[in-house]
Amino acid sequence: MALNSKMYELTYILTPILTEDQNAEVLSRVTRIIEQRAGGTIVEIDEWGLRRMAYPVAKKRNGYYVNLYFKGPSHVVDLVEQELRINDNVLRYLTLAMDKGMIDHYEQRTRKKLEAAEASTTAEESTDEE
Amino acid sequence: MASSLRYIDYKDTEFLERYINEQGKMLPRRVTDTPAKKQRAIARAVKRARHLAMLPYVSDSVR
Repeated sequence: MALNSKMYELTYILTPILTEDQNAEVLSRVTRIIEQRAGGTIVEIDEWGLRRMAYPVAKKRNGYYVNLYFKGPSHVVDLVEQELRINDNVLRYLTLAMDKGMIDHYEQRTRKKLEAAEASTTAEESTDEE
Repeated sequence: MASSLRYIDYKDTEFLERYINEQGKMLPRRVTDTPAKKQRAIARAVKRARHLAMLPYVSDSVR
């Protein structure tokens, strides 16, 4: 991996009128750009799904939110944002370079999520036994 | 010693809502009694959240 590799966080919103396949298509385009064209690596993909937006965007009240984390050289952001800008189905996007504080925060969140998931599975197991 | 400021996440709208009024405006520091550094971090997070339509620029009740 390149020496100047950084971690990035990206959130984008798709128009709600797309099918599931079309949502997946956009995501696969983005991941392909990150991994193949820019030589980065995907760390995590978190699809929030359809959500009500705080105000209408392009006359739509809802949006399909996708939040992802990846590592790569700095030009990865240019390539990804170029795609998001051109794609008319993308209502909004935000890319952030993660500094130490953000990475710590992210790791803490992931740990908490993991613990919560473990707790719920053990809870399920105990109810299964009854 | 004051605890060092942790990153303020734009995704945590529940937390950010405590720093905006019914109109969707940010509360002033004199009301929330927040340290300057933290207030700036919150302002940044609120603006990011607004861009992603997770928080309103102007609340529905005013519009």
